[in-house]
Amino acid sequence: MDPEQLRSTLTSTTSPADEQESPRVAEMQIHLKAEDGKLFLYLPTPSQTALEWPDLLQELKQQLEAGQRFWPPNTHVDLVTGDRLLDHRQLQLIVNLLSTVKLHLTRIHTQRRQTAVAAATSGYSIEQQSQILPMAQSTIAQFTLDAENKEVAPLYLQTTLRSGAEIRHPGTVVVMGDLNPGSSVVADGDILVWGRLRGITHAGASGNQQSQIMALQMEPTQLRIADWVARAPEAAPDQFYPEVAYIAADGIQIARASDLSKSLSQP
Amino acid sequence: MGRIIVITSGKGGVGKTTCSANLGMALAKLNHSVALIDADFGLRNLDLLLGLENRVVYTALEVLAGQCRLEQALVKDKRLNDLVLLPAAQNRNKDAVTPEQMKQLAYALTKKYDYVLIDCPAGIEMGFQNAIAAADEALIVTTPEISAVRDADRVVGLLEAHHVKTINLIVNRIRPAMVQANDMMSVHDVQEILAIPLIGIIPDDEQVIVATNRGEPLVLSDNFSLSGVALQNIAQRIEGKDIDFLDLDAPYDTIFSRLRRFFKK
Repeated sequence: MDPEQLRSTLTSTTSPADEQESPRVAEMQIHLKAEDGKLFLYLPTPSQTALEWPDLLQELKQQLEAGQRFWPPNTHVDLVTGDRLLDHRQLQLIVNLLSTVKLHLTRIHTQRRQTAVAAATSGYSIEQQSQILPMAQSTIAQFTLDAENKEVAPLYLQTTLRSGAEIRHPGTVVVMGDLNPGSSVVADGDILVWGRLRGITHAGASGNQQSQIMALQMEPTQLRIADWVARAPEAAPDQFYPEVAYIAADGIQIARASDLSKSLSQP
Repeated sequence: MGRIIVITSGKGGVGKTTCSANLGMALAKLNHSVALIDADFGLRNLDLLLGLENRVVYTALEVLAGQCRLEQALVKDKRLNDLVLLPAAQNRNKDAVTPEQMKQLAYALTKKYDYVLIDCPAGIEMGFQNAIAAADEALIVTTPEISAVRDADRVVGLLEAHHVKTINLIVNRIRPAMVQANDMMSVHDVQEILAIPLIGIIPDDEQVIVATNRGEPLVLSDNFSLSGVALQNIAQRIEGKDIDFLDLDAPYDTIFSRLRRFFKK
Protein backbone atom coordinates (compact mmCIF):
# COMPACT_ATOMS: atom_id res chain seq x y z
CA MET A 1 0.00 0.00 0.00
CA ASP A 2 1.38 3.36 -0.96
CA PRO A 3 2.16 5.31 2.22
CA GLU A 4 1.36 8.52 0.41
CA GLN A 5 -2.23 7.51 0.26
CA LEU A 6 -2.55 6.98 3.96
CA ARG A 7 -2.47 9.72 6.48
CA SER A 8 -1.15 7.22 8.93
CA THR A 9 -1.43 3.71 10.02
CA LEU A 10 -3.03 3.86 13.40
CA THR A 11 -0.75 3.06 16.28
CA SER A 12 -0.92 0.01 18.48
CA THR A 13 -3.60 -1.97 16.84
CA THR A 14 -4.73 -4.79 19.04
CA SER A 15 -5.15 -8.05 17.26
CA PRO A 16 -8.09 -10.29 18.05
CA ALA A 17 -5.69 -12.70 19.72
CA ASP A 18 -4.82 -10.17 22.41
CA GLU A 19 -8.41 -9.59 23.11
CA GLN A 20 -10.54 -12.60 23.58
CA GLU A 21 -13.84 -10.83 23.87
CA SER A 22 -14.88 -7.98 21.68
CA PRO A 23 -15.55 -4.73 23.53
CA ARG A 24 -19.20 -5.05 22.69
CA VAL A 25 -21.68 -5.02 25.51
CA ALA A 26 -24.70 -7.14 24.75
CA GLU A 27 -27.27 -4.58 25.64
CA MET A 28 -30.26 -3.22 23.83
CA GLN A 29 -31.19 0.38 23.57
CA ILE A 30 -34.37 2.15 22.76
CA HIS A 31 -34.95 1.62 19.09
CA LEU A 32 -37.11 3.51 16.62
CA LYS A 33 -37.97 1.93 13.31
CA ALA A 34 -40.14 3.26 10.52
CA GLU A 35 -42.30 0.67 8.76
CA ASP A 36 -45.36 0.93 6.52
CA GLY A 37 -45.81 4.60 7.31
CA LYS A 38 -45.79 3.87 11.00
CA LEU A 39 -43.09 4.22 13.56
CA PHE A 40 -42.30 1.38 15.94
CA LEU A 41 -40.80 2.33 19.27
CA TYR A 42 -39.10 -0.58 21.00
CA LEU A 43 -38.51 -0.23 24.70
CA PRO A 44 -35.95 -2.74 25.91
CA THR A 45 -37.24 -5.03 28.64
CA PRO A 46 -35.57 -4.96 32.07
CA SER A 47 -33.66 -8.12 31.17
CA GLN A 48 -32.29 -6.49 28.02
CA THR A 49 -30.93 -3.32 29.55
CA ALA A 50 -29.32 -2.14 32.77
CA LEU A 51 -30.77 1.33 32.26
CA GLU A 52 -33.26 2.50 34.83
CA TRP A 53 -36.48 4.23 33.89
CA PRO A 54 -35.19 7.85 34.16
CA ASP A 55 -32.21 6.98 31.97
CA LEU A 56 -34.47 5.26 29.45
CA LEU A 57 -36.65 8.36 29.24
CA GLN A 58 -33.56 10.52 28.82
CA GLU A 59 -32.39 8.29 26.00
CA LEU A 60 -35.79 8.32 24.34
CA LYS A 61 -35.77 12.09 24.48
CA GLN A 62 -32.33 12.24 22.86
CA GLN A 63 -33.26 9.81 20.11
CA LEU A 64 -36.50 11.60 19.35
CA GLU A 65 -34.76 14.95 19.08
CA ALA A 66 -31.94 13.56 16.98
CA GLY A 67 -34.27 11.73 14.61
CA GLN A 68 -37.24 14.03 14.35
CA ARG A 69 -36.31 15.36 10.95
CA PHE A 70 -36.58 11.89 9.46
CA TRP A 71 -40.23 11.22 10.20
CA PRO A 72 -43.14 13.19 8.79
CA PRO A 73 -45.12 15.04 11.44
CA ASN A 74 -48.21 13.35 12.89
CA THR A 75 -46.81 9.89 12.30
CA HIS A 76 -48.53 7.20 14.31
CA VAL A 77 -46.40 5.31 16.77
CA ASP A 78 -46.67 1.71 17.92
CA LEU A 79 -45.04 1.18 21.27
CA VAL A 80 -43.52 -2.29 21.77
CA THR A 81 -42.84 -2.98 25.43
CA GLY A 82 -42.46 -6.76 25.66
CA ASP A 83 -42.70 -7.81 29.29
CA ARG A 84 -41.81 -4.37 30.65
CA LEU A 85 -44.33 -3.13 33.15
CA LEU A 86 -45.62 0.38 32.45
CA ASP A 87 -48.07 2.25 34.62
CA HIS A 88 -50.42 5.00 33.63
CA ARG A 89 -47.99 7.75 34.64
CA GLN A 90 -45.08 6.26 32.70
CA LEU A 91 -47.23 5.91 29.59
CA GLN A 92 -48.22 9.54 29.89
CA LEU A 93 -44.55 10.56 30.08
CA ILE A 94 -43.84 8.68 26.85
CA VAL A 95 -46.88 10.26 25.17
CA ASN A 96 -45.71 13.71 26.24
CA LEU A 97 -42.22 13.12 24.86
CA LEU A 98 -43.65 11.84 21.57
CA SER A 99 -45.93 14.84 21.23
CA THR A 100 -43.02 17.27 21.58
CA VAL A 101 -41.78 15.95 18.21
CA LYS A 102 -45.32 15.71 16.77
CA LEU A 103 -45.67 11.95 17.02
CA HIS A 104 -48.85 10.26 18.20
CA LEU A 105 -49.02 7.08 20.17
CA THR A 106 -51.80 4.87 18.84
CA ARG A 107 -51.11 1.29 19.75
CA ILE A 108 -49.28 -0.57 22.48
CA HIS A 109 -47.84 -4.07 22.17
CA THR A 110 -47.36 -5.69 25.54
CA GLN A 111 -47.10 -9.03 27.25
CA ARG A 112 -48.15 -7.67 30.63
CA ARG A 113 -51.79 -7.51 31.62
CA GLN A 114 -51.27 -4.51 33.93
CA THR A 115 -49.64 -2.53 31.14
CA ALA A 116 -52.50 -3.44 28.83
CA VAL A 117 -55.02 -2.26 31.41
CA ALA A 118 -53.17 1.01 31.96
CA ALA A 119 -53.00 1.57 28.21
CA ALA A 120 -56.67 0.71 27.70
CA THR A 121 -57.86 3.11 30.39
CA SER A 122 -55.81 5.83 28.69
CA GLY A 123 -57.56 5.04 25.41
CA TYR A 124 -54.88 3.36 23.34
CA SER A 125 -55.44 0.26 21.29
CA ILE A 126 -53.67 -2.78 22.56
CA GLU A 127 -51.92 -5.72 21.04
CA GLN A 128 -51.49 -8.14 23.90
CA GLN A 129 -49.12 -11.00 23.28
CA SER A 130 -49.26 -13.85 25.71
CA GLN A 131 -45.99 -14.87 27.25
CA ILE A 132 -46.54 -18.46 26.13
CA LEU A 133 -46.28 -17.35 22.52
CA PRO A 134 -43.18 -18.76 20.85
CA MET A 135 -40.49 -16.08 20.89
CA ALA A 136 -40.16 -16.08 17.11
CA GLN A 137 -43.66 -14.70 16.71
CA SER A 138 -43.32 -11.82 19.11
CA THR A 139 -42.46 -8.47 17.66
CA ILE A 140 -39.32 -8.10 19.74
CA ALA A 141 -38.02 -11.40 18.48
CA GLN A 142 -38.83 -10.36 14.94
CA PHE A 143 -36.75 -7.29 15.50
CA THR A 144 -33.84 -9.35 16.77
CA LEU A 145 -34.13 -11.68 13.77
CA ASP A 146 -33.92 -8.69 11.49
CA ALA A 147 -30.66 -7.78 13.15
CA GLU A 148 -29.19 -11.14 12.27
CA ASN A 149 -30.28 -10.84 8.68
CA LYS A 150 -28.65 -7.42 8.42
CA GLU A 151 -31.89 -5.98 7.19
CA VAL A 152 -32.07 -3.35 9.86
CA ALA A 153 -32.68 0.11 8.48
CA PRO A 154 -29.86 2.59 9.05
CA LEU A 155 -30.25 4.86 12.03
CA TYR A 156 -30.14 8.52 11.06
CA LEU A 157 -29.29 11.05 13.74
CA GLN A 158 -28.97 14.77 13.38
CA THR A 159 -27.33 15.90 16.58
CA THR A 160 -24.08 16.51 18.36
CA LEU A 161 -23.21 13.51 20.49
CA ARG A 162 -21.67 14.84 23.68
CA SER A 163 -19.55 13.16 26.31
CA GLY A 164 -21.38 10.24 27.87
CA ALA A 165 -23.86 9.77 25.01
CA GLU A 166 -23.85 6.26 23.61
CA ILE A 167 -25.70 5.04 20.55
CA ARG A 168 -26.10 1.33 19.85
CA HIS A 169 -27.75 0.08 16.72
CA PRO A 170 -27.91 -3.33 15.06
CA GLY A 171 -27.34 -1.77 11.62
CA THR A 172 -25.57 1.18 10.06
CA VAL A 173 -25.49 4.51 11.87
CA VAL A 174 -25.38 7.88 10.11
CA VAL A 175 -24.67 10.91 12.29
CA MET A 176 -25.09 14.38 10.89
CA GLY A 177 -23.14 16.30 13.48
CA ASP A 178 -20.08 15.85 15.63
CA LEU A 179 -19.06 13.08 17.98
CA ASN A 180 -17.41 14.80 20.91
CA PRO A 181 -14.72 13.08 22.99
CA GLY A 182 -16.34 10.77 25.52
CA SER A 183 -19.25 9.82 23.27
CA SER A 184 -19.53 6.49 21.53
CA VAL A 185 -21.38 4.85 18.68
CA VAL A 186 -21.56 1.06 18.50
CA ALA A 187 -23.06 -0.33 15.30
CA ASP A 188 -23.28 -3.75 13.72
CA GLY A 189 -22.91 -2.12 10.32
CA ASP A 190 -20.94 0.91 9.12
CA ILE A 191 -20.67 4.27 10.84
CA LEU A 192 -20.82 7.48 8.84
CA VAL A 193 -20.12 10.77 10.55
CA TRP A 194 -20.93 13.89 8.59
CA GLY A 195 -18.92 16.04 10.93
CA ARG A 196 -16.02 15.66 13.32
CA LEU A 197 -15.39 12.25 14.80
CA ARG A 198 -13.64 12.74 18.12
CA GLY A 199 -15.27 10.08 20.26
CA ILE A 200 -15.17 6.29 20.14
CA THR A 201 -16.76 4.39 17.27
CA HIS A 202 -17.17 0.66 16.97
CA ALA A 203 -18.34 -0.57 13.57
CA GLY A 204 -19.16 -4.20 12.82
CA ALA A 205 -19.63 -4.76 16.53
CA SER A 206 -21.08 -8.23 15.98
CA GLY A 207 -17.98 -9.25 14.09
CA ASN A 208 -18.34 -8.00 10.53
CA GLN A 209 -14.77 -7.28 9.39
CA GLN A 210 -15.98 -5.54 6.24
CA SER A 211 -17.49 -2.68 8.21
CA GLN A 212 -16.09 0.78 7.76
CA ILE A 213 -16.03 4.02 9.65
CA MET A 214 -16.04 7.26 7.70
CA ALA A 215 -15.92 10.84 8.83
CA LEU A 216 -15.42 14.28 7.36
CA GLN A 217 -12.85 14.96 10.05
CA MET A 218 -11.25 11.92 11.63
CA GLU A 219 -9.78 12.64 15.08
CA PRO A 220 -11.05 9.67 17.04
CA THR A 221 -10.21 8.78 20.62
CA GLN A 222 -10.40 5.18 19.48
CA LEU A 223 -11.59 3.29 16.45
CA ARG A 224 -12.91 -0.23 16.75
CA ILE A 225 -13.94 -2.46 13.90
CA ALA A 226 -15.13 -5.98 14.69
CA ASP A 227 -12.49 -7.31 17.14
CA TRP A 228 -9.83 -4.72 16.35
CA VAL A 229 -8.98 -1.66 18.37
CA ALA A 230 -6.82 1.26 17.28
CA ARG A 231 -5.76 4.56 18.77
CA ALA A 232 -5.17 7.72 16.80
CA PRO A 233 -1.56 8.93 16.58
CA GLU A 234 -0.54 11.29 19.38
CA ALA A 235 0.03 14.27 17.10
CA ALA A 236 -3.00 15.49 15.19
CA PRO A 237 -2.45 16.23 11.52
CA ASP A 238 -2.48 19.84 10.30
CA GLN A 239 -5.12 19.30 7.70
CA PHE A 240 -8.16 17.12 7.57
CA TYR A 241 -9.75 15.29 4.68
CA PRO A 242 -12.77 13.03 4.64
CA GLU A 243 -11.33 9.69 5.65
CA VAL A 244 -12.36 6.07 5.89
CA ALA A 245 -11.19 3.48 8.39
CA TYR A 246 -11.25 -0.19 7.46
CA ILE A 247 -9.54 -3.44 8.34
CA ALA A 248 -6.47 -4.18 6.25
CA ALA A 249 -4.13 -7.16 6.54
CA ASP A 250 -2.28 -5.72 9.53
CA GLY A 251 -5.06 -4.00 11.42
CA ILE A 252 -7.16 -0.90 11.17
CA GLN A 253 -6.02 1.56 8.52
CA ILE A 254 -7.21 5.00 7.58
CA ALA A 255 -7.29 6.22 4.01
CA ARG A 256 -8.43 9.43 2.45
CA ALA A 257 -11.89 8.93 1.07
CA SER A 258 -10.71 10.05 -2.36
CA ASP A 259 -7.94 7.45 -2.37
CA LEU A 260 -9.94 4.61 -0.91
CA SER A 261 -10.93 2.90 -4.13
CA LYS A 262 -7.30 2.91 -5.27
CA SER A 263 -5.83 1.65 -2.02
CA LEU A 264 -8.40 -1.10 -1.66
CA SER A 265 -7.85 -2.40 -5.16
CA GLN A 266 -4.13 -2.86 -4.52
CA PRO A 267 -2.99 -6.20 -3.08
CA MET B 1 -1.81 -6.43 51.03
CA GLY B 2 -1.81 -2.97 49.55
CA ARG B 3 -3.14 0.17 51.18
CA ILE B 4 -6.43 1.60 49.97
CA ILE B 5 -6.45 5.39 50.11
CA VAL B 6 -9.39 7.52 48.99
CA ILE B 7 -8.79 11.10 47.85
CA THR B 8 -11.84 13.19 48.62
CA SER B 9 -12.96 16.73 49.42
CA GLY B 10 -16.70 17.25 49.36
CA LYS B 11 -16.44 20.38 47.25
CA GLY B 12 -15.72 20.15 43.55
CA GLY B 13 -12.81 21.73 41.75
CA VAL B 14 -10.36 21.78 44.64
CA GLY B 15 -7.91 19.39 43.00
CA LYS B 16 -8.88 15.85 43.96
CA THR B 17 -8.23 14.39 40.54
CA THR B 18 -5.02 16.39 40.07
CA CYS B 19 -3.75 15.13 43.42
CA SER B 20 -4.80 11.57 42.61
CA ALA B 21 -2.97 11.58 39.28
CA ASN B 22 0.17 13.16 40.70
CA LEU B 23 0.34 11.12 43.89
CA GLY B 24 -0.21 7.94 41.88
CA MET B 25 2.64 8.90 39.57
CA ALA B 26 4.89 9.99 42.44
CA LEU B 27 4.35 6.73 44.35
CA ALA B 28 4.99 4.73 41.20
CA LYS B 29 8.22 6.71 40.72
CA LEU B 30 9.23 5.67 44.24
CA ASN B 31 9.08 2.08 42.98
CA HIS B 32 5.73 1.13 44.42
CA SER B 33 3.08 -0.55 42.31
CA VAL B 34 0.03 1.68 42.15
CA ALA B 35 -3.54 1.21 40.93
CA LEU B 36 -5.64 4.32 40.47
CA ILE B 37 -9.40 3.86 40.54
CA ASP B 38 -11.57 6.54 38.98
CA ALA B 39 -14.76 6.47 41.04
CA ASP B 40 -16.30 9.43 39.22
CA PHE B 41 -18.78 7.47 37.10
CA GLY B 42 -20.42 9.59 34.43
CA LEU B 43 -17.90 12.42 34.74
CA ARG B 44 -14.58 10.69 34.52
CA ASN B 45 -11.46 12.83 34.20
CA LEU B 46 -8.56 10.87 35.63
CA ASP B 47 -7.80 9.24 32.27
CA LEU B 48 -7.46 12.71 30.72
CA LEU B 49 -5.05 13.97 33.36
CA LEU B 50 -2.90 10.91 32.89
CA GLY B 51 -3.04 11.24 29.10
CA LEU B 52 -4.54 7.76 28.81
CA GLU B 53 -7.96 8.62 27.39
CA ASN B 54 -7.46 6.90 24.07
CA ARG B 55 -6.27 3.66 25.68
CA VAL B 56 -9.44 3.00 27.61
CA VAL B 57 -11.22 -0.04 26.20
CA TYR B 58 -13.11 -1.48 29.14
CA THR B 59 -14.25 0.23 32.30
CA ALA B 60 -14.98 -0.84 35.87
CA LEU B 61 -18.58 -1.39 34.84
CA GLU B 62 -17.72 -4.10 32.32
CA VAL B 63 -15.57 -5.81 34.93
CA LEU B 64 -18.47 -5.84 37.37
CA ALA B 65 -20.85 -7.08 34.69
CA GLY B 66 -18.46 -9.95 33.99
CA GLN B 67 -17.91 -8.84 30.41
CA CYS B 68 -14.15 -8.71 30.85
CA ARG B 69 -11.50 -9.64 33.38
CA LEU B 70 -10.17 -7.04 35.79
CA GLU B 71 -6.71 -7.21 34.18
CA GLN B 72 -8.21 -6.40 30.78
CA ALA B 73 -9.78 -3.21 32.05
CA LEU B 74 -6.61 -1.90 33.72
CA VAL B 75 -4.92 0.69 31.53
CA LYS B 76 -1.14 0.59 31.91
CA ASP B 77 0.55 3.94 32.08
CA LYS B 78 2.60 4.74 29.00
CA ARG B 79 5.52 6.11 31.04
CA LEU B 80 5.68 4.13 34.29
CA ASN B 81 5.33 0.36 34.33
CA ASP B 82 4.14 0.26 37.91
CA LEU B 83 1.07 2.42 37.41
CA VAL B 84 -2.33 1.27 36.19
CA LEU B 85 -5.70 3.00 35.92
CA LEU B 86 -9.10 1.41 36.35
CA PRO B 87 -11.33 3.79 34.39
CA ALA B 88 -14.91 4.66 35.25
CA ALA B 89 -17.74 4.43 32.75
CA GLN B 90 -18.66 7.70 31.09
CA ASN B 91 -22.14 6.76 29.89
CA ARG B 92 -23.61 5.92 33.28
CA ASN B 93 -24.21 7.70 36.53
CA LYS B 94 -23.11 7.10 40.07
CA ASP B 95 -25.92 4.64 40.79
CA ALA B 96 -24.49 2.16 38.29
CA VAL B 97 -22.28 0.63 40.99
CA THR B 98 -22.79 -0.22 44.64
CA PRO B 99 -20.40 0.25 47.57
CA GLU B 100 -20.18 -3.53 47.81
CA GLN B 101 -18.98 -3.78 44.20
CA MET B 102 -16.38 -1.05 44.72
CA LYS B 103 -15.08 -3.00 47.70
CA GLN B 104 -14.73 -6.10 45.51
CA LEU B 105 -12.71 -4.19 42.92
CA ALA B 106 -10.47 -2.43 45.42
CA TYR B 107 -9.78 -5.59 47.43
CA ALA B 108 -8.96 -7.50 44.25
CA LEU B 109 -6.43 -4.79 43.37
CA THR B 110 -4.76 -4.77 46.81
CA LYS B 111 -3.57 -8.31 46.12
CA LYS B 112 -1.30 -7.10 43.32
CA TYR B 113 -0.64 -3.44 44.07
CA ASP B 114 1.08 -1.70 46.98
CA TYR B 115 -1.22 1.30 46.76
CA VAL B 116 -4.80 1.54 45.56
CA LEU B 117 -5.75 5.20 45.22
CA ILE B 118 -9.43 6.00 44.71
CA ASP B 119 -10.33 9.32 43.10
CA CYS B 120 -13.63 10.30 44.72
CA PRO B 121 -16.26 12.39 42.93
CA ALA B 122 -17.44 15.70 44.40
CA GLY B 123 -20.47 15.59 46.65
CA ILE B 124 -21.51 13.23 49.41
CA GLU B 125 -24.08 11.16 47.54
CA MET B 126 -23.86 7.69 46.05
CA GLY B 127 -20.57 8.31 44.25
CA PHE B 128 -18.92 9.36 47.50
CA GLN B 129 -20.38 6.39 49.35
CA ASN B 130 -18.98 4.08 46.66
CA ALA B 131 -15.56 5.68 46.72
CA ILE B 132 -15.05 5.48 50.47
CA ALA B 133 -16.58 2.02 50.94
CA ALA B 134 -13.30 0.16 50.59
CA ALA B 135 -10.89 2.74 51.94
CA ASP B 136 -8.95 2.42 55.18
CA GLU B 137 -7.26 5.78 54.74
CA ALA B 138 -8.35 9.11 53.34
CA LEU B 139 -6.64 12.21 52.02
CA ILE B 140 -8.81 15.29 52.31
CA VAL B 141 -8.02 17.93 49.70
CA THR B 142 -9.16 21.45 50.44
CA THR B 143 -8.36 24.95 49.28
CA PRO B 144 -8.04 27.80 51.78
CA GLU B 145 -11.60 29.03 51.24
CA ILE B 146 -14.38 28.85 53.79
CA SER B 147 -16.70 26.94 51.45
CA ALA B 148 -14.14 24.25 50.68
CA VAL B 149 -13.16 23.97 54.33
CA ARG B 150 -16.80 23.71 55.42
CA ASP B 151 -17.39 20.87 52.94
CA ALA B 152 -14.16 19.19 53.96
CA ASP B 153 -15.28 19.33 57.58
CA ARG B 154 -18.54 17.59 56.71
CA VAL B 155 -16.64 14.93 54.78
CA VAL B 156 -14.27 14.32 57.70
CA GLY B 157 -17.34 13.71 59.85
CA LEU B 158 -18.78 11.26 57.33
CA LEU B 159 -15.47 9.44 57.01
CA GLU B 160 -15.21 9.06 60.76
CA ALA B 161 -18.74 7.68 60.81
CA HIS B 162 -17.65 5.14 58.20
CA HIS B 163 -14.70 4.08 60.36
CA VAL B 164 -12.01 5.42 58.08
CA LYS B 165 -9.35 5.74 60.74
CA THR B 166 -6.47 7.56 59.12
CA ILE B 167 -7.45 10.91 57.67
CA ASN B 168 -4.82 13.37 56.46
CA LEU B 169 -5.15 16.87 55.10
CA ILE B 170 -3.78 18.38 51.90
CA VAL B 171 -4.18 22.15 51.60
CA ASN B 172 -4.12 22.92 47.91
CA ARG B 173 -3.70 26.12 45.96
CA ILE B 174 -2.31 28.25 48.72
CA ARG B 175 -1.00 31.69 47.72
CA PRO B 176 1.62 32.67 50.27
CA ALA B 177 1.59 36.35 49.28
CA MET B 178 -2.14 36.57 49.90
CA VAL B 179 -1.79 34.74 53.20
CA GLN B 180 0.92 37.22 54.22
CA ALA B 181 -1.37 40.11 53.36
CA ASN B 182 -4.10 38.48 55.41
CA ASP B 183 -6.31 38.09 52.34
CA MET B 184 -6.38 34.33 52.42
CA MET B 185 -6.87 31.72 55.12
CA SER B 186 -3.56 30.30 56.23
CA VAL B 187 -2.83 26.60 56.53
CA HIS B 188 -2.95 27.13 60.24
CA ASP B 189 -6.49 28.56 60.03
CA VAL B 190 -7.63 25.57 57.98
CA GLN B 191 -6.06 23.12 60.37
CA GLU B 192 -7.62 24.84 63.33
CA ILE B 193 -11.09 24.11 61.93
CA LEU B 194 -10.50 20.61 60.60
CA ALA B 195 -8.17 19.38 63.35
CA ILE B 196 -6.69 16.52 61.32
CA PRO B 197 -3.00 15.88 60.64
CA LEU B 198 -1.50 17.84 57.78
CA ILE B 199 0.29 15.81 55.11
CA GLY B 200 0.96 18.44 52.50
CA ILE B 201 0.71 22.04 51.34
CA ILE B 202 0.59 22.69 47.61
CA PRO B 203 1.07 26.23 46.32
CA ASP B 204 -1.13 27.66 43.59
CA ASP B 205 0.74 27.11 40.35
CA GLU B 206 0.00 27.80 36.69
CA GLN B 207 2.09 24.78 35.76
CA VAL B 208 -0.70 22.58 37.09
CA ILE B 209 -3.03 23.86 34.39
CA VAL B 210 -0.42 23.27 31.70
CA ALA B 211 0.21 19.75 32.99
CA THR B 212 -3.49 18.96 33.14
CA ASN B 213 -4.14 20.01 29.58
CA ARG B 214 -1.15 18.04 28.30
CA GLY B 215 -2.06 14.88 30.19
CA GLU B 216 1.43 14.91 31.74
CA PRO B 217 1.28 14.97 35.54
CA LEU B 218 3.57 17.57 37.13
CA VAL B 219 5.67 15.12 39.10
CA LEU B 220 6.93 13.66 35.82
CA SER B 221 8.03 16.98 34.43
CA ASP B 222 11.74 17.76 34.28
CA ASN B 223 11.10 21.42 34.98
CA PHE B 224 11.32 22.28 38.62
CA SER B 225 8.04 23.46 40.06
CA LEU B 226 7.23 24.10 43.67
CA SER B 227 3.86 22.34 43.39
CA GLY B 228 5.53 19.30 41.81
CA VAL B 229 8.00 19.09 44.69
CA ALA B 230 5.18 19.52 47.21
CA LEU B 231 3.32 16.59 45.64
CA GLN B 232 6.43 14.42 45.62
CA ASN B 233 6.93 15.21 49.30
CA ILE B 234 3.36 14.14 50.05
CA ALA B 235 4.03 10.82 48.32
CA GLN B 236 7.08 10.30 50.53
CA ARG B 237 5.07 11.16 53.64
CA ILE B 238 2.46 8.59 52.57
CA GLU B 239 5.33 6.09 52.50
CA GLY B 240 5.95 7.01 56.10
CA LYS B 241 9.03 9.18 55.66
CA ASP B 242 9.46 12.28 57.77
CA ILE B 243 9.91 15.08 55.25
CA ASP B 244 9.99 18.77 56.22
CA PHE B 245 7.33 21.00 54.78
CA LEU B 246 8.38 23.46 52.08
CA ASP B 247 8.85 27.01 53.30
CA LEU B 248 6.48 28.69 50.89
CA ASP B 249 6.54 31.94 52.79
CA ALA B 250 10.24 32.57 52.39
CA PRO B 251 10.15 34.79 49.28
CA TYR B 252 7.35 36.88 50.74
CA ASP B 253 8.52 37.22 54.30
CA THR B 254 10.21 40.57 53.85
CA ILE B 255 10.92 43.11 56.51
CA PHE B 256 7.96 45.17 55.25
CA SER B 257 5.44 42.38 55.54
CA ARG B 258 6.74 41.63 59.02
CA LEU B 259 6.32 45.24 60.02
CA ARG B 260 2.86 45.35 58.48
CA ARG B 261 1.83 42.27 60.42
CA PHE B 262 3.36 43.69 63.56
CA PHE B 263 1.31 46.88 63.33
CA LYS B 264 -1.88 45.08 62.33
CA LYS B 265 -1.81 43.02 65.49
